[in-house]
Amino acid sequence: MKKLFLCTCNNTLNRILDFPKIEKEMAKSFDAIETLDSLCLEDGLSTLRQRISDDDQVAIGACSSQIIEIPVKQRISNDFISFVPLREHVAWVHPADIKSATNKAIVLLADAAAQLNHMEPPTEFKENMVERVLVIGGGIAGLKAASDLNNLKVGLTLLEPPGQNDDKYYERSLFMSDNETLVQEIKALCKSLLGVERVQGSVQEVDGQMGSYEVTWIDPEGNLTTQDYGTIIVATGNQQFLPSIAKKCRYGKSKRVLTVESLVAASGKRDVHESSTILVVTDPDIEMSSVEGSHLLRSTAFLARLGNTVFVSYSDIRTEDENLYRNARNAGVIFVRGKVTQIKEKDHGLICRIENTLESIVREVTVDTIAVSQIVGPVSDTARLALTLGVECDENGFIKIRYNKMKPVQTSRRGIFVAGGAKTPMSLSHALISAQNAVLEAFKIVRSPLKRFGWIPVIDDESCDVCKACITACPNDALRLIDEKVVHIPVHCEFCGICVSSCPTRAIEFQSHNKESWFDRLETIAKTHRQLERNKPFTLVYACSECANASIDQAGFAGKSYPTGTYVIQFPCAGMVSPIEILKGLVVGAERVIVAHCPPGGCHHQKGDHLSELVVHLTKDMLREIGQDPDRVRATYMIAAMPEKMQKEVGLHG
Amino acid sequence: MDKRERLIQKIQNIAVKTPTQILEVPEKVEGFGSISYRPPSCSACMKCIEACEVEALELEPLVRLPEYLNVVIPEEGFRSKNRESLISLLQSLKQNGETQTISVPTGLPGYGSISWSAQKCIACNKCVEACKEDCLSLEKTYDLVSVIGEVEPPPVIEVPDWEPFIICFVCWECSHSAADLAGLMHLHYPTNIRTVRVPCSGAVEPIQIMTALENGVDGVLVTGCLLSECHYGGDDPLAGNFMQADFVRFWQSMLEEIGLGGRLYIDFASAAMGIKFAEIVTEFVEKIKKLGPSPVRGKLEVKS
Repeated sequence: MKKLFLCTCNNTLNRILDFPKIEKEMAKSFDAIETLDSLCLEDGLSTLRQRISDDDQVAIGACSSQIIEIPVKQRISNDFISFVPLREHVAWVHPADIKSATNKAIVLLADAAAQLNHMEPPTEFKENMVERVLVIGGGIAGLKAASDLNNLKVGLTLLEPPGQNDDKYYERSLFMSDNETLVQEIKALCKSLLGVERVQGSVQEVDGQMGSYEVTWIDPEGNLTTQDYGTIIVATGNQQFLPSIAKKCRYGKSKRVLTVESLVAASGKRDVHESSTILVVTDPDIEMSSVEGSHLLRSTAFLARLGNTVFVSYSDIRTEDENLYRNARNAGVIFVRGKVTQIKEKDHGLICRIENTLESIVREVTVDTIAVSQIVGPVSDTARLALTLGVECDENGFIKIRYNKMKPVQTSRRGIFVAGGAKTPMSLSHALISAQNAVLEAFKIVRSPLKRFGWIPVIDDESCDVCKACITACPNDALRLIDEKVVHIPVHCEFCGICVSSCPTRAIEFQSHNKESWFDRLETIAKTHRQLERNKPFTLVYACSECANASIDQAGFAGKSYPTGTYVIQFPCAGMVSPIEILKGLVVGAERVIVAHCPPGGCHHQKGDHLSELVVHLTKDMLREIGQDPDRVRATYMIAAMPEKMQKEVGLHG
Repeated sequence: MDKRERLIQKIQNIAVKTPTQILEVPEKVEGFGSISYRPPSCSACMKCIEACEVEALELEPLVRLPEYLNVVIPEEGFRSKNRESLISLLQSLKQNGETQTISVPTGLPGYGSISWSAQKCIACNKCVEACKEDCLSLEKTYDLVSVIGEVEPPPVIEVPDWEPFIICFVCWECSHSAADLAGLMHLHYPTNIRTVRVPCSGAVEPIQIMTALENGVDGVLVTGCLLSECHYGGDDPLAGNFMQADFVRFWQSMLEEIGLGGRLYIDFASAAMGIKFAEIVTEFVEKIKKLGPSPVRGKLEVKS
């Protein structure tokens, strides 16, 4: 049976919407209609539970699905529910015009009825996970991840670079914290690795998918070992490099030019100090991270406290803790903003000419020693390792993460995580937290068989041309070519539907979201709209279910009203929209079609924002050529923090 | 340089006139043809490009809208349902006015159209077989115009005391014996021919004919056994001389286009036909005498 449940939101929505009219109009689309006062409360939810049986098709016209979906799904096992946000998308944004608002509600509910006709049962699948984690170490985060996994009683292998030992950890991580903390931490971590399989070698080959990665590595003797892992944590750490300015400063030519680290080490060993004048040079062309800045401040303060006169030439210093800067100032470090333009070596010292950009003067100082501040980068093996693992790197050569806020340890390949300095220079505390984070993610995967439940892309081998466009487009490595056939790997799939829009033959269709369903829904919306509103123009908004939909909900909360003839249709991701859905929207009579995606670079599926822009670009070009106004179609981003964005996009033209 | 490239270069070398016609390719002639492409049903799957061994096909980042809008969608539809929907939607939105091909934004997978190079194509039909969407077919035409391009006519030169110089390919079965017989019979025929013995008239390759012409030869004569009596195939339609008759017809039409019409001829004589052989040669020499010296000589002169 097709059932419709409406909620008056505690007798508030019925002041704006004409519920009797809605019920009357919807009677042709639904077999049973019921209006409740507060669906989200226990009363309402238990009524729903009594009324809905498993084979019913249900539309719920209430508040945003983000609010009501979870409590409803907790109590009702029915899989065929369509949520219509009458409150956020209608009542709260169109409070002034009861008639039009009611008409809009009717159109959206008619759309839901059409959607229910195409709903398929979700697919359930279960994959067993290999309960073992590979930690590719080299940095402190690797030690920490191994130690934490060991404490969680998860089987693991800590694969360290050839020749790695405790001292190496110390040398590589010098810049991460002050000496004492670092030494203690490394000691403690190494101690807690009792019983952990620790091997040295480098990864040669990785095959398989999340839950069962088959990894082959080669040890220093040249033996190959292959083992299965559920997940992989990359924690190769950082390495310090000489900046290009080192050569200009006569590094390697003059005995008086050292690195900051070697100078600190040398000064630390000596018992009696002759005080000397030191110029610390930073590379003005390289943006300094706060980790490097903090390290620079710690080192210079240390050198100054030994009685040396320390100059620092800098262009920008960032630090994690302002006290480090104060401390250095108090110790007597002299900061000169500017760059070193000339160095002459004389018997009595090095004559350095510094262009002071703050005061616009050129200063000359004579120093005994120049200390070059080193830069921190990914270890030199990172690019090769990333290629072997099949993960992407960013423009600085660090391993790229999926999404800074929400997926800070996820790489571009599912089941492979990155912790610590391998993704960006990190201080000790951050590296440790990042390792914990990666361990939790890895732990979640390997601990229990993966069960997933949802609508998935289905590939029709008959009509597939094996053009591999979907494989290129998939952001999650969830489609692969196996035996000349495109195969879907459910454990990697995020159900974004980007593959669907990329397929030239539509051999991939997303369950419940196939082309026919879109066409049917768009036609229903247009038909119902015309019955109620005659020739009033209407706009279709194809909103991604993440940021854009949240933004439109927020517009409702904030009461940012926009014209009533605006119908929002949710897509799993804006990347799923192809020119076909856009053109169909125009063909059924929409005045305009707006594709709303997440902010640039913020797509939850990595490239949906970019792809939808490209699709709209192509569609506009086509429209221009066939004599239509290309401005009828546009792509834009929407974000929950900007509720006025919807108003701006739709309201301007209304 | 591969064989096809060498052949085309030789044809370019001997061309004295810009071709204007698209040639018909006789039925038995293989290796020469045109690929016709129907963009509307193409899904840009690149299977044809993968199948092509001579890199004659390329994917261009273009959407050929004019073809999309003019196509009549067949009743059973295209195999690519997506393209079909796209085209029917575009057709229903079309307003009056001119439509042009548009380019695909960089980075958008699944769109594009195929470009075909007449110069590289060897008409092997592999792309047509690989295409699942039925958007390619092999036509029995040869686009000489785009293969040869613009030709600058060489200067007309006077050749003092000119006598035709003719290469005659004779098969070593019947027609060579016919030439022998002509000699035995003391038949007189012009001295202008130089015979080149080949296993079968079907073994004469276009590149050999073109090389002869490229070197300033005034005419090329090919002789073989009587039709249906070829020693390599007899009356099989694919016998050597049957094949060569078709090929020569193709090359004759091509030479006509590039300004060397009448300078290639094929005829057949059995071992008992000494008289006929003498006649063939006499007639061909007469014909060439009427045509005058090969215009390629002018080209050679310019070169030297």
